[in-house]
Amino acid sequence: MNGRDGHRGASRRGISERAWGALFAGPALFLVGLLALAPLLGAVWLSFHRRLPIFGISEFAGARNYWLLWGDERFWAACRTTLHFTGLSVAAELFLGLGLALLLDRVLNGRAAEARWVQAAVLIPWAVPTVVSAQMWSWLYHPDYGLLNYLLQATGLVSSPINWLDDPVRALHAAVLMDVWKTTPFAALLLLAGLKTIPRDLYLAARADGAGRWAVFRHLTLPLLLPVILIVLVFRTMDAVRIFDAVYVLTGGGPGNGTETLSIYAYKTLFQTLQFGYGSTLATAMFLVVLALTAGYLLLLRRHLREIAS
Amino acid sequence: MSTFSSQGVLLVALALLAGCTAGSAPPPQDSGTITIVFKHGKFAGDPEAFTALLRDFERRTPGVVVKEEVLPASTDQQHQFYVVNLEGRSVAFDLLAVDVIWAQEFARAGWLAELDHLLQPAEREDQFPEMIRAATYAGRLYAIPWYMEAGLLYYRRDLLERYGLAPPRTWPELVAAVHAIQRGERDPGLQGFLWQGKQYEGLVCVAHELAWGGGADLLEGGADAAQAVSFMRRLVGEAVSPASVATADEETTRRLFGAGRAIFMRNWSYAWTLLQQDGSPVRDKVGLAPLPAFPGHESVSALGGWLLAVPKRAAHPREAQALIRYLTSPEVQRRLTLDLGYQPARRDLYRDAALMEAKPWLRDLLPVLSAARSRPVTPYYLTLSHILQPELSAALVAAKSPEEALASAKRQVGALLGSRPWERG
Repeated sequence: MNGRDGHRGASRRGISERAWGALFAGPALFLVGLLALAPLLGAVWLSFHRRLPIFGISEFAGARNYWLLWGDERFWAACRTTLHFTGLSVAAELFLGLGLALLLDRVLNGRAAEARWVQAAVLIPWAVPTVVSAQMWSWLYHPDYGLLNYLLQATGLVSSPINWLDDPVRALHAAVLMDVWKTTPFAALLLLAGLKTIPRDLYLAARADGAGRWAVFRHLTLPLLLPVILIVLVFRTMDAVRIFDAVYVLTGGGPGNGTETLSIYAYKTLFQTLQFGYGSTLATAMFLVVLALTAGYLLLLRRHLREIAS
Repeated sequence: MSTFSSQGVLLVALALLAGCTAGSAPPPQDSGTITIVFKHGKFAGDPEAFTALLRDFERRTPGVVVKEEVLPASTDQQHQFYVVNLEGRSVAFDLLAVDVIWAQEFARAGWLAELDHLLQPAEREDQFPEMIRAATYAGRLYAIPWYMEAGLLYYRRDLLERYGLAPPRTWPELVAAVHAIQRGERDPGLQGFLWQGKQYEGLVCVAHELAWGGGADLLEGGADAAQAVSFMRRLVGEAVSPASVATADEETTRRLFGAGRAIFMRNWSYAWTLLQQDGSPVRDKVGLAPLPAFPGHESVSALGGWLLAVPKRAAHPREAQALIRYLTSPEVQRRLTLDLGYQPARRDLYRDAALMEAKPWLRDLLPVLSAARSRPVTPYYLTLSHILQPELSAALVAAKSPEEALASAKRQVGALLGSRPWERG
């Protein structure tokens, strides 16, 4: 792309432009490095230490923390919980978000005024602060005066109230449901924007060729929407792996650590029991998980973009 | 990609903050006026009444202004704030409220100034020994008791009277009372016994109390401790307690009981004033008793409460100490009790006839407070608690057997800290 087919004058200007660019981007890069990279390196540095202020301990520990991590049942349980949560909530958000986006696209096509209202309304769950919505859901789930149980009992679906949060497995899925409610609108809006970029002529052409609704979706909408789907996947996966506030407010990681995600474990280790070294090891491990997932998605995205380009 | 890991980065940044940065500079001062910053958690009572006390202090101490900075009610969040902010070259506050379970930790970390001179030997006679023990580290006093809390049994006096029942003294009596009243009332909305079973510090307190009330020790483990934990589970299994206790904290239970929807509740002493305030559906229908014990054992409550301390690197330690003297003086402790409904940390006030006249329930509270037991007094307390919390919670929701949960907790404590580290201090 860059200047392969450009003529000489342009390419010479290109080099000097690049130098200028680097100069202008320098302060920003420096700031990003200072704000993002430095703390990150600090954590990695800490993760090789045994550091507990209350013991007055601060010593280099080599890979000891990582060795501990390897044998730490609680860490692996938190990994499983986090990945379970991520897999389920991201899949549901993508699926429901796509449905919602298609619906909005279809219903609101061309009606700009209504579209704005509906889009704003759809966004409300996403706009509510997470801590507030988690508190709200903890009330909805309440076995004695929660709305959810009231509705289930009023419609005769269950005979006695269900306590959504008193069983480790049920509580984790209750947290998934809350997250899906909260972030599906975000996925839907991104996907809706993606849908809007698909030229209408293509649909008309497909119709003219006699393609059915499913065929249009399968062979036209879906392939063209794939880059946006991948972006939604990347965003949502990263967010879900880092999930903290919502679950922390809803369950505190309980019952029986059934909903303890990696961030909650790291938070408790760092700020409740003050094991700064081992806590940093957990944070670093979490960063590596996120990094691996991101790398996987980026590879997928790149391959896909290359396919589209060719 | 940096945005993708901002949670991790945030944790890291906070960790770094705790590690090496100085707090923000103390507030600018007018000529001759000293501003001391007082950090404490949100009050359950009327904050205006407390502010009035601070203004009174300012009037008596010319040249000193007190600035209150209120932290969230969640003690976990307060703890986090202090941990991040106390480890600096200078600290942006001069006075802080310390939970009894943190005092050892903060003193061990070297974050608090010694306050031995604030309590003369004669004055210590007026204090509760367990509070002083919690505030003493390596023979030095690092905090001054401010107000007390203890686990209590709240009961619906009207319901117990209707069935001719006395407040239960043992756990089997409580179970029988719940069954009798629920059978008679035929109200499916009336719960039996509420307590705090969410995976957090409250659950640890309830479990300690059950174990102590059976002559056992949770961290010691053994058959008696396991029995206490399995009793907790049986309460839910036999519908004496609703399943929702497994997710309940103090305020959840206080609201449900306060709405008249339960017969018994275990809660801290703070709930009394709230249950008795104007407009409370259970006003004048509530009674207070020591927690039940297992037959043949003494009732033991967990000791709670708050202490006042001065950061070692505070900008104005002398003025902060003057404020501590003021807030813990008999006169102000009396006002705290009358205006905010707090339980004074001074034993002498419980013998004050006028105060007992105005707040008669404090008379019943004194024996409970005197017999209340501290959770293990050790700098490592939070580590112990965070090991116990998930294990107790798992036992409560039947994800693990009580024996398994306690054995696992003991194993983890041993691996992290060695055996019985809380006794080494």
